[in-house]
Amino acid sequence: MKNHLDDGQLRAALDGELDSTERKHVEECQECQSRQRMLEAQIRPTADRLRFLSSAHETNLSAPAAWKKFNRVKLAQKETSMFRKLFASPLVKYCASAALVIALILAFPATRALAGELLNLFRVQRVTVVPVDFTGMQQLDGVVGQDISQLISDSVTMQKEPSDPVNVASADEASQLAGFNIRAPQGLTPSRISVMGGASFSFTIDRAKAQALLDEAGRSDLVLPEEVDGADVSVNIPSSVSLAFGTCPEPSNESEAERERQREMETSGSPGRVYADCIILAQIPSPEVSAPASLDIAKLAQIGLEFTGMTSEEAAEFTSTVDWTSTLVVPVPRNAATNQQVAVDGVTGTLIERPSDDAPQFALFWVKDGIIYTIGGLGSNSHKAFEIANSLP
Amino acid sequence: MDESLRQESVLRPMKLSKSKSDESFESIFHEYWQSIHRLLARMVIDPAEAEDLALETFYRLYTYQPARYESVSIRGWLYKVATNLALQSIRSFKRREHYETHAGREALIVADEDSPPQIVAEKEDRDYVRMALGQMNARQAELLIMRYSGVAYKDIAAALNLSPTSIGPLLLRAEREFEQCYRMLVQEAEQ
Repeated sequence: MKNHLDDGQLRAALDGELDSTERKHVEECQECQSRQRMLEAQIRPTADRLRFLSSAHETNLSAPAAWKKFNRVKLAQKETSMFRKLFASPLVKYCASAALVIALILAFPATRALAGELLNLFRVQRVTVVPVDFTGMQQLDGVVGQDISQLISDSVTMQKEPSDPVNVASADEASQLAGFNIRAPQGLTPSRISVMGGASFSFTIDRAKAQALLDEAGRSDLVLPEEVDGADVSVNIPSSVSLAFGTCPEPSNESEAERERQREMETSGSPGRVYADCIILAQIPSPEVSAPASLDIAKLAQIGLEFTGMTSEEAAEFTSTVDWTSTLVVPVPRNAATNQQVAVDGVTGTLIERPSDDAPQFALFWVKDGIIYTIGGLGSNSHKAFEIANSLP
Repeated sequence: MDESLRQESVLRPMKLSKSKSDESFESIFHEYWQSIHRLLARMVIDPAEAEDLALETFYRLYTYQPARYESVSIRGWLYKVATNLALQSIRSFKRREHYETHAGREALIVADEDSPPQIVAEKEDRDYVRMALGQMNARQAELLIMRYSGVAYKDIAAALNLSPTSIGPLLLRAEREFEQCYRMLVQEAEQ
């Protein structure tokens, strides 16, 4: 009989992976059958050794339990990691307040146009959150992230660099240095009061470069409006004051803080354990942003939200439900944090909590009389944030 | 980016949204969890590490959509990623050192009155199997692990970017290579 099968085909025959013609040949060819038996004997020791890979014992973690764990642990861990990376990226390091600025830029629509060519942006009156899937922003880790940082550094002109935090002895001294009257909770003595100097900068949007970055990130479906090209945006961030309660890390720049956090984790465990009793109350007058009236901030916000992974419909729905004239939008990890509106200091605020066995975190935001207040901590004792907030004079 | 992802040229970032793709992902997770977890539990000694690697496998599917779910062999893709993660774990220096130094020690630990000799021998044998797979050419090791885990030729071919008709010859070559590695390891241990 002609066209005998080669060893490779005979090996496939042992797994029942031949086509019908080859199979028919083996069934009718004694020579091939004989060679197949020899081949089978030859590979039997290997097959016996590897057979344990296909044993059908069930594992001790069922699919439903694993699914819960996947959502609880894996996504939360990764999204928190991406959240931290995003805010530790060169994009943000370039200017310590860029995150706030981005949020502010997203916060005001061109429909707030005032007289003249420039749109003067009013003060923040409330805070809301937008759940964001930071896992979808892994592009920021690579070349695209570096390119974005480069684009920003090419476009931004600093008028005033933010200064390092300065520790002061009293709330009065902090008020004097910061230039606004700070509120210190009654009956509680802060372990430290720090004043961070303000900053101001401006930038010009280069649409072609920004669009090229979106394309590079694989999001050429997101198209920046033509009118953004050449738009000048200026930002003025006032001085801020922070009051620390309990054992807190020293205020420092982002990279030092990150190194400190790593050291603490290596030696003593997570920050949630090391600084479990640390609570920081921060106060800052609303920053001011000026942008051309022609700049459709709502449209840019929609593009930004879609970039993070929202569908077009979800982004449109979110942008339509937010009062863009006076709302500071804070991005939080979708699967790693919960948020709720709460009554605090006589107004409505927002409580963000990141439950975790290892490193729980919380942040309480609210705005009152033109001042943005934040109380944050690394433990799970968010009730203390309310005690502090409600004891403000 | 590690090797398992670098090889996936068809991968592209997935648009994460709570939409149809999530429902699809959840059903895939439920369908394949047991088999992927089981494979990793066989390949990696530490149960906690096996579980973590299995979760990581699905996380990579969640993050990097291999083209479209319906147009590629998800089974093959998952097995390939899981296999690579297992091999990386085995190959890492500490891990290998652990296997080498503990292969004998583990046998002693379990060699109490309640452990029949054949069970002890079986455990030791599996350690050598893992070491041999870790020493082999990556593509051959992937092929063996996927095939002996029950993955069909067409799924292996799709995952490894090979022709289905080339699987038989390559598998045979991989089996011969494995046997050589395995015997060498056993001989070294006996000397």
